Amino acid sequence: MSTDCDDPKGTTCDEALENLYLYLDTELDSLTSDRIRSHLDNCNGCVHSFEFERRLKTVVKERLDEDVPDAFVARLREALAEEAATDAK
Amino acid sequence: MADQANFERDALQYNRQLYSAAMRMTRNSADAEDLVQETYLKAYRAYHTFTEGTNLKAWLYRILTNTYINKYRKDSRRPNEVDLGTVEDLYLYRRIGSEESADAARTTEDRVLDGLVESDIKEAVEELPETFRMPVLLADLEGFSYKEIAEILDIPIGTVMSRLHRGRKAMQKRLWEFAKERGLLPQEA
Repeated sequence: MSTDCDDPKGTTCDEALENLYLYLDTELDSLTSDRIRSHLDNCNGCVHSFEFERRLKTVVKERLDEDVPDAFVARLREALAEEAATDAK
Repeated sequence: MADQANFERDALQYNRQLYSAAMRMTRNSADAEDLVQETYLKAYRAYHTFTEGTNLKAWLYRILTNTYINKYRKDSRRPNEVDLGTVEDLYLYRRIGSEESADAARTTEDRVLDGLVESDIKEAVEELPETFRMPVLLADLEGFSYKEIAEILDIPIGTVMSRLHRGRKAMQKRLWEFAKERGLLPQEA
């Protein structure tokens, strides 16, 4: 993975991978983020691993999402209304 | 200061996200409903202390998390560490790619990502010790920033990062096992 790569700006694959999650979580400063993006433009190995992790992150999010039971939302509204009514007294 | 009269309009929109997180915390719908309801009632009563224009979603999550910790966390003897042994970074990706040509690896990646079902992902997250589960939920389910997670959990950003890192690794290790069990991998893997 750290071979076959000629990033003209000199960012190494190790450096890119170290920053993988920070990059995907949009936690990098813009300078570093640009450097990683430019590395990805020049490195098939890294682009492949970044893409896999990005897809995994999306899959995790989608499959953890729950439908809230309508009846529960109704109960929640009632409980809040009741609380507000108690306050008003 | 926020006006209680606007609470329902402003805060109720997050019920789906709070409920999804509560399900992964409590692991069952009855407790999740109780937890979310208690969170909303507490938030309503404290709404006058909320500064309007600041992060309402993060504020609600902080109440959710604290309520969970105080009320629903029954067994503090559950392990609070994950045994990662020799689990390397990008565990799942590297396992998939290890014994194959690039093209074959891509096919397996697609099969794994498509083939891991909801219950696999949920179980992998629920099995994480709480210390690691919370940051993973807040980052990967909710998309909170590290700074927001640090505020919600009241821990330093560095701790958020290391727990997130370890939690994701442990999750990937479990997902790899599920992928094997489901026959999503080539025979020799």
